[in-house]
Amino acid sequence: MNGVLSISTVLNFGSAGLIVLGLYIVFTQKNLIKMVIGIDLAETGVNVLLVSTGYIKGNTAPIFSKTGLQVSSMVDPVPQALVLTSIVIGFGVSALALAMIIKLYEKTGTLDTSKIRGLKW
Amino acid sequence: MRKVISFLLLAGFVFYFATLTGGLIIPDSSADRNSVGLDILSRSAGETGSANAVTSVVVLYRGFDTLGEVTVLFLAALGVSVFMKSTGEKRKKVLDQSFILKTGSRLLFPLMFLFGMYIIAHGHLSPGGGFPGGVIIATGFFVILLTSESVNFNKTLMSVLEGLAGLSFIGLGVVGLLGPGNSFLQNFLPLGEFNTVFSAGIIPLIYAVVGIKVGAELSSVVYAMKESK
Amino acid sequence: MVNPILLIIVPLGTAFLISLTASFLKNSTKYLALLAMIANVWVSIKLLPAVMQHPINVVIAGVKPPLGINLFVGPLGAVFSILISAAGLLILLYSFKYIEGDSQHKYYTLFLLLITGSHGMILTGDVFNLFVFFEILAISSYILVGYEGKRNGLEAAVKYLILGSIGSILILVAVALIYQEAGTLNMADLADKFGMIDPSKRLMILVFFITGMGVEAAVFPLNSWLPDAHSSAPSSISAMLSGFVIEVALIIIVKFVYSIFAMTEILGFLSLVAVITLLVGEFAAYKQSNIKRVLAYSSIGQIGLILFAMSLNSTDGLNAGLMQIINHTASKSILFLVAGFLIVRTGSYQISDYRGIAKKMPVSAFFFVVGVLSLLGVPPFFGFFSKLSVVMAALHTGSVFNTVMVFLVLLGTIIESIYFLRIIQIMYNREGDVGSVKEAPFLPLLAIAAFTVVILAGFLVLPQITGYTGSVASEIVRKMQMAQVF
Repeated sequence: MNGVLSISTVLNFGSAGLIVLGLYIVFTQKNLIKMVIGIDLAETGVNVLLVSTGYIKGNTAPIFSKTGLQVSSMVDPVPQALVLTSIVIGFGVSALALAMIIKLYEKTGTLDTSKIRGLKW
Repeated sequence: MRKVISFLLLAGFVFYFATLTGGLIIPDSSADRNSVGLDILSRSAGETGSANAVTSVVVLYRGFDTLGEVTVLFLAALGVSVFMKSTGEKRKKVLDQSFILKTGSRLLFPLMFLFGMYIIAHGHLSPGGGFPGGVIIATGFFVILLTSESVNFNKTLMSVLEGLAGLSFIGLGVVGLLGPGNSFLQNFLPLGEFNTVFSAGIIPLIYAVVGIKVGAELSSVVYAMKESK
Repeated sequence: MVNPILLIIVPLGTAFLISLTASFLKNSTKYLALLAMIANVWVSIKLLPAVMQHPINVVIAGVKPPLGINLFVGPLGAVFSILISAAGLLILLYSFKYIEGDSQHKYYTLFLLLITGSHGMILTGDVFNLFVFFEILAISSYILVGYEGKRNGLEAAVKYLILGSIGSILILVAVALIYQEAGTLNMADLADKFGMIDPSKRLMILVFFITGMGVEAAVFPLNSWLPDAHSSAPSSISAMLSGFVIEVALIIIVKFVYSIFAMTEILGFLSLVAVITLLVGEFAAYKQSNIKRVLAYSSIGQIGLILFAMSLNSTDGLNAGLMQIINHTASKSILFLVAGFLIVRTGSYQISDYRGIAKKMPVSAFFFVVGVLSLLGVPPFFGFFSKLSVVMAALHTGSVFNTVMVFLVLLGTIIESIYFLRIIQIMYNREGDVGSVKEAPFLPLLAIAAFTVVILAGFLVLPQITGYTGSVASEIVRKMQMAQVF
């Protein structure tokens, strides 16, 4: 598409923006669940960054679904594999985080980090 | 105060990244890009027999990463089970689900299960593979768990499946170790005919194992969360 | 020749096996873990002489690097593998009598996965694979910190998880930039190509990587999670975390700075950070009254010392840092493991409640003293030689900056001695009465004794040890190369 936004601007600012937004939430929010959401956002941002390192302008998915498809018309498959792994890992960490936070809530009755001050934050 | 400092720090980073260092640069064509991935792409069909190059990367070229990923999922499920022990007591009866919801979900479950298996089995031919397939199967379980109060969910079966699937992955790898190439996770089965289901050596096998593991793990995570408060 | 990949797949496979057999083996699964650790120790010992000649490259999936993933085992890999396996085995034995309860198999599974992650990080030759094993290590430690399910442990674990996740995100950004700029993820290949990347981008990758890994390595100011995590975890886990997990993360940073990124310009900044870490750790430890928090802050101080030695940009410095790591693994494990039973027997974390405990738990107290003296650097314990080599290496560089730093290091040691000797004084106080307290059981004491043997007898085999650490140092200083195929 023509116009002001080229694909690289979108990817650059999009991924950096997501990462920054996510980290900002983690640094400034006091609610534990919001912090987990922030981590999730930032991780999504990194995944966008990672997968876009494989993109080549105008090329298509690296699947030889019919004969005659040329390698030079395809994008790089490795970043896609990396992101697959990263998404799964991110999911695992989020699930674990939520489980721990639920248990912590049971023990302390609050999700506010300034109130859970048994140890210093 | 913390907010202002964080904001300035992070905004500075965005500016630096996107402008001064040029950030990501998207190449115009394959010729402009020099990377390991494109080298793999040119050999993938011949070496592995898999039509889907991403699958061949995930299972073969970077199969060790996939083993690690499967382990991370295993860890997450284990961690959830450590922290969410079943409270034991029977929960108060939830709102009686409507008839449509209950029968609908029971109809849906076998379809989802089948669809999940289809995605797993065709991982080397079309986008998908073990992970999305396993997730779909687990979502099938999820639907049932959410709409019925009591489900015969066998936790022991799930942990046996997980352990067994994990061991099979390693086992498939060890076969490669003992074989001619002396290399863990080497592709030792014949490559078969390109673009059919029975091709690409051990790739469908590994993805099947992965699919079972993912399905079992996610289902037990959801079950554990449901069973505690 | 034994295949180094066993160091990773044996603990991993055993972890899956435990999960499989847990329902009928129940608590006997700990013997499976024992077998796995013994196997690991055996493999790592056999590996050591083999890699001294030239590093081994293990090809995975039949695909040669840089297209595929490989394991790169040089002296660094072998020495650290022995460290991890041996410490792991001893701490496992300690855990047999320390960990109680019904679901023990979960503990042993997590334990083995922590070991898997550590070995994986050290042995891998691929950057993204490093990230994956880093996650395995990190997640198992998050769960283990909160394992007891108590409120303090949970809070510490959540905080550790959040900070650790930020670290992971930063590392991933570095990996994405690496792939973007160099088109490869293989470490040796990257070492080759890194010099050709734009300098500003190189700096960015370096900063992201060090900051991300630095969270796990507990350098200032990223270490706010450590005092809580190491003090609230079960003591066997505190020993693992302080004993080798943070050191593994630290050595990865050092390895990258020297042999892959080859950006030794950052070392001046790192040595400043190191000394700040050292002083902050020791000063904070001085003020603590909870024994595990003292030990945790002391670990921060020690990491500062090790990093200082390693940022001197000399083989002597690296050598000294490695010896200091060995000393810390042995001593800190002793201290945490003894503390474990002090807490169990008296029911208290407060040092003031241990007044006179040496009468009732003489063996534990003795081991504690040995651990402290080695940590402080008193001859003829191993710690003396390691700290001496750090000071000598720093003075040899001849720079004024480093000489000033040496004074600050010695200041840190003085503070260390004050608070540690204070603890010992309380423990041996004649008037104290801790009530009816029994000594720790035999098996844990045996495990602790094994660590003390290393400290006491270390100086006897000093030349051999310096031979090995010297090879590791030379490997780090050289640019990483593609090694001969296994």
